[in-house]
Amino acid sequence: MSADTTAPLDRDGILVLVRDQLAEILEKSPSDITEDVSFEDLGADSLALIELVEALEENLATYSAGFHIDDEDLEGLGSVRDAVNYVALKLQVS
Amino acid sequence: MSLPIALDAMGGDFAPKEIIAGARRAVDELGLAVTLVGVPELMGDPLGLDVVECSEVIAMDDDPGASVRKKKDSSLVRAAELVRDGKASAMVSAGNTGATMASALLRMGRLPGVHRPCIVTPIPNPHRTPVVLVDAGANAECTPEMLVQFAQMASTYVATRYGVAAPKVGLLSIGEEATKGNTLVKATHQLLRELPTLNFVGNVEGRDFIPSPVDVIVTDGFTGNVALKTLEGALKFVFSAVLDAVGTNEQTKVAGDVLFEHLWPVASQLTPDSQGGAMLLGVQGICIISHGSSNATAIMNALRVADEVDKGEVVAKLALTIRPDQAA
Repeated sequence: MSADTTAPLDRDGILVLVRDQLAEILEKSPSDITEDVSFEDLGADSLALIELVEALEENLATYSAGFHIDDEDLEGLGSVRDAVNYVALKLQVS
Repeated sequence: MSLPIALDAMGGDFAPKEIIAGARRAVDELGLAVTLVGVPELMGDPLGLDVVECSEVIAMDDDPGASVRKKKDSSLVRAAELVRDGKASAMVSAGNTGATMASALLRMGRLPGVHRPCIVTPIPNPHRTPVVLVDAGANAECTPEMLVQFAQMASTYVATRYGVAAPKVGLLSIGEEATKGNTLVKATHQLLRELPTLNFVGNVEGRDFIPSPVDVIVTDGFTGNVALKTLEGALKFVFSAVLDAVGTNEQTKVAGDVLFEHLWPVASQLTPDSQGGAMLLGVQGICIISHGSSNATAIMNALRVADEVDKGEVVAKLALTIRPDQAA
């Protein structure tokens, strides 16, 4: 699934992207994925998180060429909110 | 002409020599098309086989997810990409199991509707088709819904590969009664019982692998891997104990000469080498995971499995099992 690259990306847009990608990877409804929920509670194991990272890198490359999430940074991301904040900071959007 | 099978020449305890030797035998003895994927300066003589060159190797102890992301030009990742790009019909590796699974998952993608891919391992049974164990180690943590999908996919695999109509499915537990087992097993039992498309016959126990009353044994990847390794260790011990007993004195050696003619076919049927490899079910392509200690015979058999799975259109049938509404 690709993001709508014609729309300007803000924090809400990042949240939608993270939520939709997670929903697709975990075979869940996007409405089940709230910002507060932890990856552990969603049942996302390390491979699912790698899938998420690769999907985000692919989608966000259109906004920021070569967008990359460092594997070392993954350890600090425990929830949807953490992931959204991390991407927002990297892309310098509010 | 059919597509070649992409073989990771760098993966396995005896790579690359035994891997390449197995590939050569598969070409010569089975008539298969095989492409090696490996690092030229580490591979040695490719024995006249086609080679797709790469520059990195994922080691047996590398972290699966991180290594696939960091070593994008590794033999494992490149093999998975050949399948994804339609340049190979299947990939085979005897390397890091977790990284093989991650490569296939991240490069080929999951079949629509599949929660998590799982590993299905055939366990030989004398005088009948193998019983398959699923999950043999891909998912240490499972939900009841995941186990139901594993059972569905493994049932399709057995029906397609071995021609078994309505394969019998058993759930691994600590007792035959539906009330036996942990929370996961009891919840899974209930779901399997309510599934009309599956021939679920109830719980089975650890003693039901050989001989087995069922065609599919479903469990979580942690339990499945422990059970599989326990079985392998026990069989290895039995073979060794028989050999020791036969070598006791001249009298037992004579008896051994008579018995071996009858014991050898059974023993050779029960070695992992004869099965060749386990398939990763649930990804959009064929990925065969071979034992880390694979020799040339095991690799040749793994390539044979890959070819049979390809010709049997197993992946397309698995897709329809999970999403029957997608039928043309």
